[in-house]
Amino acid sequence: MSNTTQNFDAVIIGGGHNGLTAATTLARKGHSVCVLERSSVLGGMMSVGGAEAPSFTSRLAHLLYNLNPKVERELGLRLNARNLTTVSLAPNGEHVEIDGGKARMMDGALHPKAVAFATLQTRLQRFATLLSRLSLRTPPKLSGSWTDPETFGELMGLAGIGLGLKGMGKVEMREFLRALLTNVHDLMVDDLDDGPLAGAMAADAVRGSFSGPKAPGTLFSLLYRLGNGANLRAPVGGMASAVAAFEDAAARAGCVIKRQSAVRSVLVQGDRVHGVELDDGTVIHAKAVLSSIGPQATINLAGIQHFDVEIARRAKNLRAKGTAGKLNLLLKARPEFSGLPAPLHQARLLIAPSSDYVEHAFNPVKYGSFSEAPTLEILLPNAHTPETPQTLSAVVGYMPHDPPGGWTDALRTKAEQQIMAVLEAYAPGIGDRVQHSELLTPTDIQTETGAAGGHWHHGEMGIDQILNVRPINGMAHYQCGVEGLYLCGASAHPGGDINGAPGRNSALQALKDGAL
Amino acid sequence: MTDTSAARTLEEAVPLGLIPTVFQPRLEALSSAKSWMGWAGYQSAVVIENMEFEYFAIRNQSTLFDVSPMHKYRIQGPDAEAMLNRMMTRDVRKIRPGRVGYTLWCDEEGMVIDDGTLFRFGPDDFRLCCQERMLGWVLDAAWGFDVQVTDESDTISGLSLQGPTSFSILKDAGLDAAAALKPFDLAEIEPGLWISRTGFTGDLGYELWMKNADGLALWDRLWDAARDWGLKAIGFEALNLARIEAGFIAAQVDFQPIHSTLRLGRGRTPLELGFERLVDFEKDHFNGRRALLQQRQKGLRTHLVKIELGGFKPSNGALLYHRKTKEVGHVTSGAWSPTTKRNIALAELKAPYGGQVQDDLWAEIYVHEEGQWDRRLVPVTVQTSPFFSHPRARATPPRPF
Repeated sequence: MSNTTQNFDAVIIGGGHNGLTAATTLARKGHSVCVLERSSVLGGMMSVGGAEAPSFTSRLAHLLYNLNPKVERELGLRLNARNLTTVSLAPNGEHVEIDGGKARMMDGALHPKAVAFATLQTRLQRFATLLSRLSLRTPPKLSGSWTDPETFGELMGLAGIGLGLKGMGKVEMREFLRALLTNVHDLMVDDLDDGPLAGAMAADAVRGSFSGPKAPGTLFSLLYRLGNGANLRAPVGGMASAVAAFEDAAARAGCVIKRQSAVRSVLVQGDRVHGVELDDGTVIHAKAVLSSIGPQATINLAGIQHFDVEIARRAKNLRAKGTAGKLNLLLKARPEFSGLPAPLHQARLLIAPSSDYVEHAFNPVKYGSFSEAPTLEILLPNAHTPETPQTLSAVVGYMPHDPPGGWTDALRTKAEQQIMAVLEAYAPGIGDRVQHSELLTPTDIQTETGAAGGHWHHGEMGIDQILNVRPINGMAHYQCGVEGLYLCGASAHPGGDINGAPGRNSALQALKDGAL
Repeated sequence: MTDTSAARTLEEAVPLGLIPTVFQPRLEALSSAKSWMGWAGYQSAVVIENMEFEYFAIRNQSTLFDVSPMHKYRIQGPDAEAMLNRMMTRDVRKIRPGRVGYTLWCDEEGMVIDDGTLFRFGPDDFRLCCQERMLGWVLDAAWGFDVQVTDESDTISGLSLQGPTSFSILKDAGLDAAAALKPFDLAEIEPGLWISRTGFTGDLGYELWMKNADGLALWDRLWDAARDWGLKAIGFEALNLARIEAGFIAAQVDFQPIHSTLRLGRGRTPLELGFERLVDFEKDHFNGRRALLQQRQKGLRTHLVKIELGGFKPSNGALLYHRKTKEVGHVTSGAWSPTTKRNIALAELKAPYGGQVQDDLWAEIYVHEEGQWDRRLVPVTVQTSPFFSHPRARATPPRPF
């Protein structure tokens, strides 16, 4: 046991992309920063797992499509990624390729609803851009009088959004206000027939959340995902290379990164943080501690007695039931999807043939069981070449976080068989090509990353858990009550996906508070 | 046939109407006023015979008041002290085993949830007695701590024996070990019978706590011992007058417990209720501390104070004015005090009135006499000490009367 003591301006708990973003943001302003990661690898939800894990380069998250451009710029991320289009697969082979606002059939002809889709996409993109203005600032508190400089600043920010809203014109503004809290299903089937096109939008809106596309508020989560331009990017070399880019940015900024350094407790005295103590007894003193591990885990590390009863209750009741699982396959040969031209095997492939299909996939998870017809978001990272190794990476919706009796081997096998049956229907013969497979349930994701409930976004992106109530009322401004303690992970505003804004905003809030 | 038995079971499980406490058979027999009210679901006396007789018994002999409907939460376990210290505004560590402490607790915004008395039986064993139903809150506050919370509201009975001869009654009942109890002391005088030197009258008095099954026997024992000392069963009205004289505040009357308010800004902080001495900013974090610190810095919104008024007409609900013109507050509890012969009240004033500004205050009292309304403007002076205070309340060992 080494009882050494070290000093930093700030300590970051968790080496996921938000933790690294927060660290880099602080370090680039001249502060000494130490990142503490419990496992042997960085990346959190982007992580490829430790040495014991099989080598899939995108083991959990496999896409960048909501990375905040400002974060990318400020951090100076050196990302090598290729842009992707999406193909929404249909069981009858009438797949639809979605490229921005364009919707084409496999023969290159326009989708029958291409015009309606383009209009809808343009409109959603406009709404999303307006909303995304909220992403790069601490959510408004509006607790002071309007003459209070902080409140005045918040009001001005909101006024900007209000003006943007006015600027859209009466009809669009009315539509925005109508649509904002509505469900994604109704909006899709109003304008598009329910089929692969609507299914794709529905699946994107609810991926990772504990709701089907008919649940209120699901359009908001789609807008959140469209907020950064809806550009789909797959890092060359898989997410491992994206992790490396975040690590590289942090290292260049001068951050100290410690792996296999689990924090035992956050040290609090006189309602202020003083640092952290590691499992091995090492004490690291710091003026600020930024935690990317979610409200409940953060409260537990600091000691519940330092938090108000209401805060602890809300953290305990945070809605965080993960529903996204991950299937990774090592294949003997390149899979072939029926009716899909060879070049399009490099696209993002969705199995969500209708919005109703997505809704039905959600139903069983409410009762802790697993759909026979899950939705899949598939990437074939090596589809450009016939050479091996060939892999398939699929985000599976929906998988229960806590099935009755837990995730037994038998249940895993059954779930995997059901997913393979769906794949087999679209890519006949794929089952015979499987050399090795790995299924990660939300429970596994929780164990590996520490995200509450194994939730894709570290907490449901519901209307009750966004903006100034994300993750919970009383912790929504990155501050936790205890001076110098901040939340900087995906559970904080604006939320999940590989986004980076929570980490960046949290760091800026700490600087603004003079915590460092 | 099955139906009838099911109905009977349901009625037993969920009694309709008010529930009698274990003392109801004795109270019923003594009651000539037949004036009852609901208190936390229990039947409770407003007046047994005559409010004035009962009040004077509090100040001149002894009285028994059934406090069984009080909510009682037992908190036990290795973290009990830490859990309560996080919940309460005062430093619970300073309440030693065998002591009782008056305490308040707040929500995250520093608004008082309720006040009550905290009984400390041992290092890891407490009971919280309070007016408001609190189980959900106590469980929330206990979450994350190694404690066990038991709602004893329906299993523990309480009798409040108050008045100058109250110790003599205990003595003649064979409970003279209570002689050693100083104010706010607590002891198990006989197995299963805990006596605390506490009360709501500002006078000498004791509270006796026992299992429901032991209640009636204790009542009879006290009643038999009291023959030479004068003992009256009393109702709420007499007690309420005594507590105003003692300057004690009542939930739902002098302040609104924050969990029972719907409108914004109706809650009050301990500082606004005049309990700064019961808020320990030096100890570790407690619920609402950050909000209270902020309020201490920014200033209070209101002051709850004791006032004396001119005239003799009870001032309940009267509006208060500065310089006879500006409305600055209202009386929350007002009464003519028969013992001190003063017109007294508790009143809430908007800051700075009642705080820095205490001069030129007036109360507008409306008096109704046989169909005719009269309005009187009487002078108001802010008081700092209790209206009624007597050395016998503090003498240890207590005097015989």
